[in-house]
Amino acid sequence: MTSLKVLASFVLKEFRQLARSPEMLAVLFLLPAIQLLVMGFAVTNEVKNVDISFFDYDKSHLSKSLIESFSSTDRFRIVPVSEAEHPEELLFKWKSKVVVVIPAGFERDCHGFAKPVLQVISDGIDGNSAALANAYVQGCILRFSQVMLQSRDPGLMKKDQGLDLIVRMSFNNDLKSNLNIIPGIIAVLVTVSSMVLSAISLAKEKELGTLEQLLVSPMHKYQLVAGKLLPYLIITLLQMQVAVLLAGIIFRISLAGSYPVLMLFSLIYLFTTLGLGIFISTRVNSQQQAMFFSWFMMVVMILLSGFFVPVQNMPKVIRGICFFNPLTHYMTVIREIVVKGSNLAQLRKELLILLSGGFIVFGFSLLSFRKRVK
Amino acid sequence: MIETINLNRKFGSFTAVDNLNLKIDKAEIFGFLGANGAGKTTTLRMLCGLLTPTSGTITVNGLNVVKNPEAVKRSLGYMSQKFSLYGDLRGIENLQFYTGIYGISWTAAKTNIKSLISQFDLDKYLKLKTSELPMGYKQRLSLVCALVHNPPLVFLDEPTSGVDPKARREFWQVINELAYRGKTVIVSTHFMDEAEYCNRVLIMQAGREEVCGNPLQLKQSHRVATMQQLFLKIAGADNAQS
Repeated sequence: MTSLKVLASFVLKEFRQLARSPEMLAVLFLLPAIQLLVMGFAVTNEVKNVDISFFDYDKSHLSKSLIESFSSTDRFRIVPVSEAEHPEELLFKWKSKVVVVIPAGFERDCHGFAKPVLQVISDGIDGNSAALANAYVQGCILRFSQVMLQSRDPGLMKKDQGLDLIVRMSFNNDLKSNLNIIPGIIAVLVTVSSMVLSAISLAKEKELGTLEQLLVSPMHKYQLVAGKLLPYLIITLLQMQVAVLLAGIIFRISLAGSYPVLMLFSLIYLFTTLGLGIFISTRVNSQQQAMFFSWFMMVVMILLSGFFVPVQNMPKVIRGICFFNPLTHYMTVIREIVVKGSNLAQLRKELLILLSGGFIVFGFSLLSFRKRVK
Repeated sequence: MIETINLNRKFGSFTAVDNLNLKIDKAEIFGFLGANGAGKTTTLRMLCGLLTPTSGTITVNGLNVVKNPEAVKRSLGYMSQKFSLYGDLRGIENLQFYTGIYGISWTAAKTNIKSLISQFDLDKYLKLKTSELPMGYKQRLSLVCALVHNPPLVFLDEPTSGVDPKARREFWQVINELAYRGKTVIVSTHFMDEAEYCNRVLIMQAGREEVCGNPLQLKQSHRVATMQQLFLKIAGADNAQS
């Protein structure tokens, strides 16, 4: 009973301090909201508005309607070219990202004289976008040829159609990259708030000397750690509600899975990040150092989490490192629950990993936190 | 009240406290004197369980500090050089917090705290954020925070550094008052005039005890007029007479 009261007075003090600091409140609630909005719109794998130019040496009815078919989608922006220009030069000068060359005789070849040929040249600097843009170009051309096939002119392209693929993207039919990115941002948000803030807040007591006063009190170290972390646990979970709500209202991302399961995983994951927060604070002497270390850790964690680049794309050694990054697993879990609607049984491997991770990290940090000064 | 036997503390190869044997009685004002780095703060920290000795034993009220740190901490108040107040909290909120972490209810502690507040003339400052308080009042409030659980033993680590002479004098009246009420006060300082207010002083140098005793007797036996002269004489300064 008494120990609960001790904890309560500690938590009350933390919240009082937070309420006194408008900058801190802004950092806690306004910044994540802005971050979610800006990044939600900005960070996208989708390729849109690709600058494309056509060198039409055929100048036929068919070649014109092929070009026209590219203007009907927002994936491409057609850049007009003059005869004097050269395809490679256009890429070099950043005027367009993709150049399509339609050779003379294209329409004639389509009527069965020969196999029709088109040349597509892409700017390959950003490999991923180039590959995607290429795929879109191919898709457009394929669709065009199918439309032509069914059109009024039965003489067109009757030869050798090959396979007709019907592709469906499960869980994300429109390939909306938001659906992948927004849960990722929420995962990052949860990590940053809990780890950075708890590390800084403990380092602040160290720096100001108030920690010494706490250490000389009969308060148990578990009470001290709990009193320090509980407010950040509550705040991070609150932030998460705000983020989930905003994702629903603004990005129309509704939770496919169970909300309690998501919260359960978040709670378990928070033990790891808060544990890291204490760990950092035991190793630094000032808020600045705490800030530096926690940001450094955060960047590594985010880059190796599969947030931007899927972990499967990484070399084997790096994949091994990623396994020990708790954010990787939380990122997986949050995406699975939000997008796919996976349940607890399907995520039992991640549950086990996150539980043991939290246990080890939090336990180790608690042991390394001593009620003594150096 | 406090006893140390062969107390040692090393930081790597540096010996901060060297074989210290102490006995401090109840209701005594005991002063640790010495230059910066003489080992005063290290000793104080070991006495209140903040720092583990490299060797030797410390007993407070018959309890071993290393073995029963929590029990010992319950019986002591500690005020550090930095005046550990939360600047963004009001005076009253600081007091409530420190009362809370000692596991004492505010209603139970209120009478004691109220008398301390009026004694230290703090009433009108309690509603202010402590960062806005003048230094002298910060120091007093910080002392009240160390006394919320009414401990029999009070440690003051250089409590008067950074405080003006008038506030220093007033603060020593407060310290006297505490001893008068039966509290044992252990204070470290490098102001030699303050040594005169102590019942007994220990002058430390390089972690070792140089002299220990009543200021008056020490001055007589070393044939000096002030504690300042005594200190300089011990420190081996040639101009000890000046």
